Amino acid sequence: MSTTPDSKLSQPLASLGISSADGVQSLFAEVRSRFDMDAARVTDEASFKAFRDTWLARKSGVITLITDNWLKPASPDVKRLVGAALNELRAHVDSQIEAHRRAVETGVESAATAKDRVDLSLPGVIRPIGSHHLIRTVMQEIEDIFFSIGFSVVEGPEIETPYYNFEALNIPEHHPVRDDMDTFYLDVADDTPGKLLLRTHTSPVQIRTMEKRQPPVRVIVPGKVYRRDNPDATHSFMFHQIEGLAVDTDITFCDFTGTIEYFVKQFFGESVKTRFRPSYFPFTEPSVEFDVSCIFCGGTGSGASGVVCGKCKGSGWIELFGAGMVDPAVYGFVNYDPKKVSGFAFGMGMDRLAMLKYGIDDLQVFFQNDVRFLRQFP
Amino acid sequence: MKVSYNWLREFVDITTSPEEVAARLALTGTNIASIEKGAHGAVIDAEITSNRPDCLGMIGIAREAAAAYRLPLKTISAKPAESAATKASDAISVKIEAPDLCGRFTARVIRGVKVQPSPQWLKDRLEAAGTASINNVVDISNYVMLETGHPLHTFDYDLVRNHSIVVRRAKAGEKIRTLDGIERTLDPSICTVCDGDGSRSVGIGGIMGGGETEISFSTKSVLIECAWFDPIAIRRAARSLRLHTEASMRFGRGADPETADLASRRAAELILQLAGGELFSGVVDLYPGKRVPKKITLTRRELLRIMGADVPDKDIEAILSSLGFAPVRSDQNGGSINSLLAAWECTQPSWRAEVEREIDLIEEVARVYGLSHFPPRLPAARLGAARLPHYEAEMRLRERLIGLGYHEILTIPHVAEDRNELFRPAETSPAKLSNPLSEEASVLKSTGAVTMAGAIEWNLNHGQRNARLFEIGSHYRFVKGKPVETRILTVGATGAVRAQALYDAPRDYGFADLKGDLDAIGALSGGLRWEQGGPDWLNPLRRGAISLGKESGPSLGYAGQLGKRAAEKFKFRQDVFLAEIELGPLYCMYYGVKNSRRYEPLPRFPGVERDFSLFLADGVTFAQVQQIIWSLAIPEVASIEAADLFRGKNVPAGKFSLLVRVVFQSREATLTESQINEFSSRIVAALEQNLGATLRAS
Repeated sequence: MSTTPDSKLSQPLASLGISSADGVQSLFAEVRSRFDMDAARVTDEASFKAFRDTWLARKSGVITLITDNWLKPASPDVKRLVGAALNELRAHVDSQIEAHRRAVETGVESAATAKDRVDLSLPGVIRPIGSHHLIRTVMQEIEDIFFSIGFSVVEGPEIETPYYNFEALNIPEHHPVRDDMDTFYLDVADDTPGKLLLRTHTSPVQIRTMEKRQPPVRVIVPGKVYRRDNPDATHSFMFHQIEGLAVDTDITFCDFTGTIEYFVKQFFGESVKTRFRPSYFPFTEPSVEFDVSCIFCGGTGSGASGVVCGKCKGSGWIELFGAGMVDPAVYGFVNYDPKKVSGFAFGMGMDRLAMLKYGIDDLQVFFQNDVRFLRQFP
Repeated sequence: MKVSYNWLREFVDITTSPEEVAARLALTGTNIASIEKGAHGAVIDAEITSNRPDCLGMIGIAREAAAAYRLPLKTISAKPAESAATKASDAISVKIEAPDLCGRFTARVIRGVKVQPSPQWLKDRLEAAGTASINNVVDISNYVMLETGHPLHTFDYDLVRNHSIVVRRAKAGEKIRTLDGIERTLDPSICTVCDGDGSRSVGIGGIMGGGETEISFSTKSVLIECAWFDPIAIRRAARSLRLHTEASMRFGRGADPETADLASRRAAELILQLAGGELFSGVVDLYPGKRVPKKITLTRRELLRIMGADVPDKDIEAILSSLGFAPVRSDQNGGSINSLLAAWECTQPSWRAEVEREIDLIEEVARVYGLSHFPPRLPAARLGAARLPHYEAEMRLRERLIGLGYHEILTIPHVAEDRNELFRPAETSPAKLSNPLSEEASVLKSTGAVTMAGAIEWNLNHGQRNARLFEIGSHYRFVKGKPVETRILTVGATGAVRAQALYDAPRDYGFADLKGDLDAIGALSGGLRWEQGGPDWLNPLRRGAISLGKESGPSLGYAGQLGKRAAEKFKFRQDVFLAEIELGPLYCMYYGVKNSRRYEPLPRFPGVERDFSLFLADGVTFAQVQQIIWSLAIPEVASIEAADLFRGKNVPAGKFSLLVRVVFQSREATLTESQINEFSSRIVAALEQNLGATLRAS
């Protein structure tokens, strides 16, 4: 396979009668063309290995032979010429052999049998992962939004006294609003003083919070609440609310609407439109109902193909929750000075927000806990 | 309240469409449920909040519309022609024996009426408002109620014994047959209207009249009662009688006593017009509950403090005037327009008893002015915000469980008592409801297990055989008569832990899965301790009691396989595993462990594993094996693990084979073969001596 006879490689240059630059040059050119011919013959792994060994084997490779036989015994003048030519050759050999090595390896892989290749369309090992309950996800989302604007998170008991659930919220006994909040009462032993009920809203925690700390107060209260309603697609006798309360020496209605707008734009998106409608709650004044432009029809009132939007019944608005400025009467129950402080409060149904945001039309699915539902919202 | 658009326009000159009017009313405080186009024009269905009894009449809605549009309101003026011959006071006598229940009673009498069907226009008006037509006299009383918001009642004057009315508290057990034909039993909190000597009830005051004195087509003379009853007493009575009427709704929310006479005159006028007859002159008017109108001052300072933006003088004055508050500038700077010191003295109109304070006036001004005029802004925060104390611990617990394959659930805590009893610890008292909606939801769960079992039941009944669930919530118990809500984690699992898949053989969920997963969350709090025990509704062979900490620590709960009795009750035909642990101590320890955790330098020398294949007598526990090895106090023992457990073939009866893997590790040097052999023989000797273990020939 060699055009340069091995006999030449085994003799010093002096024996070959080469002592001039031209002589050295043509000799190395001869070696190089032999190398290129060898390289052209490499086809597979075996021929590559033979090729590599012919040229680079430590004991008898061509490079070693040239070093031992041509370079080392040469006279100083010739040695310089040989050294330069050898370096040049060596660089060529190294780079070519590396290139051939890569080509051969790739070729070997592509030639590998199909049985060893992974089928990327098959799944990997599936480790079953659980899911967050959608109400929890929404609760967390709301909590995070309010936390980002300085609201702390607090909790309170679900079994309450009428005082915290009603009286201290300016809802005395026989107030008509009590008729709207059908209440579960607990069957208490005779030695338990007073009645106990399941809170009908998270608002009692407003009172509990203000009893404990002086303004500034800025809290949200997530939790379960209970109303004695027969269950259907939009009613459950247990549901979730998130209460908000901000009281300080300088909180105004403008701060209130600004806070609510900030929240709802974070939650539903910047494009949502908002409005506040005057309303009535015993523990806020002025009281409002808060509406957002319908998320289903974009506030147009008509759905796909021009029919009346079923979600907002064509009004373009969806009522989200009630809120308002804390009624000064409430401050009287917690020893705040209504002349010095003011604030706002709101209470929103989380289940309803989740239904609106994720297009759920039956409240009951939240509490049936069917794994097929749970998996939809990881 | 159904508001006929055409009727409304008799009071206010509105020119815009019904839809526009409805939208304007909605934005100024009258909630609109819907607008319907009926045979008699558009009808706006207004949902009147309980603080606005004045809006339960057309005039009240009209006043709102007039204020919103800044248009004049045309008031009702009724001047019925009176007969000079007879005085009402000669025709009827009225006595109020219960002035705390009945604050005013007016009576007018009309003689010689002709009761007949109402004219079409009246029928149409009532129909649009959702009221059925009966006869002209009764229809007129309904019409006037819809118009003025004030209920009134008409009697057949000739059937009123002695032409005498006595208003008193009912006697206990007193009976009356009301207009709807039902006999009702009264009690002394209820106000009753009687005739004659006061012994016979002819009406439940402010709620419904009685059958005996009902207007009929043969009625010749009419007694018009227009009274005022105490709202709280009316609400209480309506609730206890379960008799909610148009009248009880209006009186219950607080009618206007001043309107009583106007409504009476209006009714008389219409009866004369439609039924003819002769009105006795004057009125019998007993008014023990007359109120002095309150004076309320509104200041701009307070308006600004609450609302955060201003309203010009002219708007404040226009709004308050049109709502009937008659504002008068009362500050020193009376002449200075839009002064920051401006104040207005207002007079509470008789129909707005609920407006008593400055804040109430602020609301009136703001809502009619338009809430959108107050520009939203974010308040400056003056405090750092805090999460719940257990926020981080709970989040990590939740994420870990989800990573382990569990779905978070939320359950309604109301359960059936028999189900609750299956799980309730005997020493605790349940939280029962006194007014449950149903037997299936009559008690709050005493354990998390009961609703978890319910969730698994739902899934099995809906074809979902494999479920791994957890719930973070509370259980509800009574302890020494006080309610206690305890935060707990409940875990439930059933079915395959791994389905048949490409790379996996199927395997059913077992006790070891539950234990391993609980240990994985326990590790966040320094680890769990497992001991024999647990409630009797768990399978006694596959259950354990869980505590916190290695040696001592609070008891947290239990875990295991649901026992036969409970499983049968739920009709479970496959194994179900449940665990319940208290979260308070777990969270508390989470922070303790987290804050005391310190870096431990990695060993520089390699550790060496040695396996000991042991035969042990049944009943010997792995904990005993560990205990024996640890008690040798070989400092180089780094860990002791169970690597394999085997019973059956090649294992003598009464014994089992346990492969124990011990890792030796020194911080000072690489351990030599002879050191390890020495440790090993000490271990084997100790296990033989203390547990009768024999090394299995390999």
